[in-house]
Amino acid sequence: MNKVYVSDSPHVRGARTTKGIMIDVCIALLPACIMGCVYFGFKALLVLVLSCVGAVGSEIVYNLILRKNIKEILRNFDFTSLVSGMLLGMCLSSNVPWYVPIISSIFMIIVVKMLFGGTGKNIVNPAITGRVFAFIAFQSVMISGWATPNIGAILSGGSEVTSGATPLTIMLSDGVDNMGISLLDLFLGTGVTGCIGETCKLALIVGGIYLVCRKVIGWQWPVIYVGVTGLMSVALNGFNFGYFLPSILSGGLMLGAIFMATDYVTSPFTDKGRYVYYIALGIVTALLRKYTRIEVVSFAILLMNLFVPLINAHIRPRIFGAPTLLDKIKDKIAKMKSKKQADKEVQG
Amino acid sequence: MKGNKFKGIAVDGLLRNNPTLRLVLGTCPTLALSTTAMNGIGMGLAVTFILICSNTLISLLRKVIPNAVRIPSFVLIIATFVTVVRMVMEKFIPDLYDSLGVYLPLIVVNCVILGRAEAFASKNPVLDSAADGLFTGLGFTWALTLLGVIREVLGSGSIFGVELWSFRIEFFTSAAGAFFTYGVMIALFNALFAKIDNVKKRKEFYAAYPDAIQPEKLETKTEEVK
Repeated sequence: MNKVYVSDSPHVRGARTTKGIMIDVCIALLPACIMGCVYFGFKALLVLVLSCVGAVGSEIVYNLILRKNIKEILRNFDFTSLVSGMLLGMCLSSNVPWYVPIISSIFMIIVVKMLFGGTGKNIVNPAITGRVFAFIAFQSVMISGWATPNIGAILSGGSEVTSGATPLTIMLSDGVDNMGISLLDLFLGTGVTGCIGETCKLALIVGGIYLVCRKVIGWQWPVIYVGVTGLMSVALNGFNFGYFLPSILSGGLMLGAIFMATDYVTSPFTDKGRYVYYIALGIVTALLRKYTRIEVVSFAILLMNLFVPLINAHIRPRIFGAPTLLDKIKDKIAKMKSKKQADKEVQG
Repeated sequence: MKGNKFKGIAVDGLLRNNPTLRLVLGTCPTLALSTTAMNGIGMGLAVTFILICSNTLISLLRKVIPNAVRIPSFVLIIATFVTVVRMVMEKFIPDLYDSLGVYLPLIVVNCVILGRAEAFASKNPVLDSAADGLFTGLGFTWALTLLGVIREVLGSGSIFGVELWSFRIEFFTSAAGAFFTYGVMIALFNALFAKIDNVKKRKEFYAAYPDAIQPEKLETKTEEVK
């Protein structure tokens, strides 16, 4: 009779609703979106809007196919698909054709989220999977080149956007000395080639600070992820500390660390598990970056998402009153000592 | 009675026990060769031919082959026909022979053929076994061709080698796309059969208990009361 049912995460419920948290995340994403539109022009806005429309639209259409009432659908709409859509748009280059954001967002919502049961039941982060899908599905389009922003682009209709390799790929293939871009530029995203939402680190950090202040995410998790990745890159490049700042400031690391890795559904629910998760994420990211020489934050997060159930199953909080790990070790040492003594006595 | 039997074998091979979509046998060539529709048809027909021949011969020899060494004997018989098909294809359709590559000799250990030999041909008379081989092979062929068409249209923008448009989603030509498309196809096919079985069960139930209240009729009744 006394069966214990474990519901899907999150387990602790308070006054805050999923909807409220997701609106907070949307607000936190806005600065980076605006900066992306400023840098990359009208086309970036188009990509963002298309991926949001694709994501929200496909969720509503899926619910309609399940014969739900349209009023009920709109009442239960919890903004998670809007967040996924925004994140996906921010992961794409501004010069992709119109069908890339639409098809990727439909895939991400229908296959990754809705088929697994909707919000809170997906096993991997939809936005990450959407980006990986776009990367695999449209290889020729995605690898052909990222857009380089031009501040005046929005005024001139986006025609001055050129494409080329990102600073990260240059750093990974030619070394940190050949990046040809200053750290301040990397931080602000001015003249940095890359995705729409990932170039301006300042805007991402501002969004992250907002999320921390609203207590949506803990400050330590993005810091651990970013820090471990930076230190690991330093270690992999022969302890050259010149690699630390460029490797954490280039590519999608900030975007992934602040907004994607911290997704509630696909991160462990105990603090101990989270330390393991984020440290492993940092190591995996740095290792894959070093040996594949492409941007792998999305692949690393996707990979680690699949380990989350394992972490949840094996790293459990200590039950109140149960012996701590230290107590257990002390106990074992005491036992071994008494055994040795007993052996000695037998020998003597 | 006899006609009914063959009809049952046909429905089994083509739909109900479709080797690709229901039994999930022979997945290795299914996933690797369904990049184009032409590959799917070529592989399917090669398997069909070998399946008919091996089923017939195994059925003929079913009382001669000792039980303990039946699997090696089946493999030997299948290998003979595979060698024949290989030689013929290499001579007459070298293009297809090249694109099928290593998967053509690998038909020897294809689970579909070995499975039908073990489950059907070694227990049933010759004519039934030949029919089973034909329909199972055709079931394999249509599933592989459909998978090939979907992947070719979406992944390479062409159908049977004829280009349709320049739009392509390269995901579908990769292995991940093969698994994805295959999985979706199995899911849809299973959903279809679940629905058919459900309808059949209900019909049988109401035929057995004519007094039972049917939910649909109940709804109409309440509406009438209103």
